Amino acid sequence: MSEPTDHKRRNFLWGLASGLGAAGVAGVAVPFVKSMLPAADTLAASTTEFDLSTIVSGQMVVIAWQGKPVFVVNRTEKMLERLHGYEAKLKDPDSRADYPHVEAAWMKTEEQRYTRAIKPEYLVLQANCTHLGCIPLYKPSPGQAEWGDSVPEWWPGGFHCPCHGSLYDLAGRVFDGSPAPYNLYTVPYMYTADAKILIG
Amino acid sequence: MKRMLWSAPILGIVIACAPAAGFAAEGNVPLKHPNITMDQKTLREGLQVFVDVCMGCHSAKYVTYGDLMRYPEIALPRQQVDDLRGNKSLLDGLTTDLTPADAKVSYGKVPPDLSVITRSRQGADYVYSILTGFAHDPEGRIPDGHYNIYFPGNNIAMPDPLTWFQHDPADEKSIEEQARSVSSFLAFISEPHQLQRESLGRYVIAFLVLLTAVLWWLKREIWKDVQH
Amino acid sequence: MIERMLNSSLAQWLDERSGIVGMIRKHVLDYPTPKNLNYMWNFGSLAMLVLLLQILSGVFLAMFYKPSAMATDGGYTMAFDSVERIMRDVDYGWLIRYIHAVGASAFFFIIYMHFARGLYYGSYKKPRELLWIVGVIILLVMQATAFFGYLLPWGQMSYWGATVITNLFGAVPVIGGFINELLRGGFGIGDPTLNRFFSLHYLFPMILVAIVVAHLHALHVVHSNNPTGVEPGKKGVIPFHPYYTVKDLFGVGVFLTVFCYFVFLNPTGWGLFIEPDNFSPANGFQTPAHIAPVWYLTPWYSILRAFPDKLMGVTAMGLSMLLLFFIPWLDRGRVRSARYRPMYRQMVLLFFLSVVVLGYCGHAAPNELLKTVGRVATAVYFGFFLFLPIITKHEKTRPLPQDV
Repeated sequence: MSEPTDHKRRNFLWGLASGLGAAGVAGVAVPFVKSMLPAADTLAASTTEFDLSTIVSGQMVVIAWQGKPVFVVNRTEKMLERLHGYEAKLKDPDSRADYPHVEAAWMKTEEQRYTRAIKPEYLVLQANCTHLGCIPLYKPSPGQAEWGDSVPEWWPGGFHCPCHGSLYDLAGRVFDGSPAPYNLYTVPYMYTADAKILIG
Repeated sequence: MKRMLWSAPILGIVIACAPAAGFAAEGNVPLKHPNITMDQKTLREGLQVFVDVCMGCHSAKYVTYGDLMRYPEIALPRQQVDDLRGNKSLLDGLTTDLTPADAKVSYGKVPPDLSVITRSRQGADYVYSILTGFAHDPEGRIPDGHYNIYFPGNNIAMPDPLTWFQHDPADEKSIEEQARSVSSFLAFISEPHQLQRESLGRYVIAFLVLLTAVLWWLKREIWKDVQH
Repeated sequence: MIERMLNSSLAQWLDERSGIVGMIRKHVLDYPTPKNLNYMWNFGSLAMLVLLLQILSGVFLAMFYKPSAMATDGGYTMAFDSVERIMRDVDYGWLIRYIHAVGASAFFFIIYMHFARGLYYGSYKKPRELLWIVGVIILLVMQATAFFGYLLPWGQMSYWGATVITNLFGAVPVIGGFINELLRGGFGIGDPTLNRFFSLHYLFPMILVAIVVAHLHALHVVHSNNPTGVEPGKKGVIPFHPYYTVKDLFGVGVFLTVFCYFVFLNPTGWGLFIEPDNFSPANGFQTPAHIAPVWYLTPWYSILRAFPDKLMGVTAMGLSMLLLFFIPWLDRGRVRSARYRPMYRQMVLLFFLSVVVLGYCGHAAPNELLKTVGRVATAVYFGFFLFLPIITKHEKTRPLPQDV
């Protein structure tokens, strides 16, 4: 051997090479992971425009937003009046639960909190049960006349999830005794015209 | 070193073949070489020419109206995009209103989509040369307006779009500039992330040169142990 | 650090149940390697690296690619659209696609260099015949994988390349038509072909990994050859780690630098890695002006073209690959390395030159001159195999060193 091994230099070089190598591998991982996130065309298709005037009073339609269903209900005066009187039976009558999409940024007044809508007549909510994601059935008329014993006698009208029996009222507020933990989730939306909304 | 010399001529030939092969492919008239740039001004002008002239017959379906706002190189303001798209959605591609059937009747063939035209032909130079290559057929076989110096076979179905043939000499500069900007635009949309690719690439290569230098140093250090 | 990891209680726990630590010591750390390997021996580890890169990028591309020839607007198809979506809308999709496209070319370049090294230094000779044969099988599987993969973008070259090559198999007597239908699943290249080629393009790399493991196993039984071709004595070998780990890593650094130059600054490789015509959508009614396979298949394509008869051309092409298997027995010399075999050295260099010339002829548009050159090169190619047993039987060799 011509010269003694310089262990200090060796260790330094090993460390430097390993550090740079690790940084390189991490750098390679970034584009691969990012590629799996929603692509630009998917993101560009993330908003939905909808004309509310196409819904007859008292009717519900399901529209697609980001590939998922959204309930849009045109509530009548009577339906809105029926939203009172059973607050004690609700888990969260004023939408105050600390969970994403229960409360919404547009909920500025007490009325918006309990009707869960910007304009009270038009209810716009995610159509998935907050329990495990099934789509609840729309059962607007009060009592059991139309729905049999799938709903309780005191039923004020609302949504009934067929999977595990969760019950929501006509503002998507969840009843006590349901397996679902939260009110039906809100969607981000705004009015672009008198009866036109932009979701997303 | 000497024992590796034999691989040198092989590599040499491979490298020498590469560009030669590119030219051998078409072997037509040498193309013009305009100054293709991808600055915002040129790209927006090119977009305007594309929409006003090319889109009469051609589409660029892989580029959506939304992309025109999204790509930082163009970054067209929302208002201008709305003016361009009329009642089309932001998700729609830049497609022509001319149906394939009508195009066949009028021009004898369906005009190709231009999304990747500079990649499927010989680059932006080819597009520019075609646009400014209309002339009078010296042999008089091909009707005026369809004779193109740079098109293989010279007989092009596309009628002179910028009226280069028989243009007023006073307009020459302006037509050349239109051809240049639209060629630049088409080169850009053929690969919209090319500028990002090049700029990122410089950092990646610089990093790898550094890493390789450290590894070479380490290798030399470790191999001091080995006696030859 | 490595020692500390191998002595950790987790490693010991695993070792007692799998022998993993012992295996790592035997096959990586302490694996005895000749100390005089030159940089031509780096291509083996590089080939493994590129295989992994191809699988990684391929798995990600498959998340976005749609193997469907269903027509969409503008004369395009779902397959072509999905590739353009990768290039435009998927975050860094362009990078992953270019890694895969440039990687294919890099893989072949590396494997050809690996083969050239084996030929030059006689790495195929006893006791490494099986290692060599497994290597040739790897090359064949790679070529098939590349052929399947090249159809997927569903551009003009994809379509017509697949048309030409499936027709090649059609020239095989008796069963040609059957093989043809088996590959195409229709009357021509179409949606069924695309679907099965995608499936096979995903399957073959798994087979490739298995064969590579066999190749490595065979290597570790007989150990590496070296530039002198002499079996090293005790003083001629050094442990693989750290000497060859750092040397291979340095090679990886050089390779990645060149690779990234292409991926980032020259992804189509002057039209050699991704051909311009493949940016035109597949059109069964219009053949491109000039069809040639990608550069790494052109030598064999040239041999095919050198013969005026279809069946003869196909036979010659098949033979040109098949003959590679027999090199260990065609070469009857006792000495391995061309360093000590002046005659063989001339021959093998001429052989390399013929492959390069054939490659060029297969790539360029055919003309009379190139046709003649291609025929001469084909003659040289086969001449190598023909004269190999004759010349090597009587060749005069230079004195060998005692040890490496």
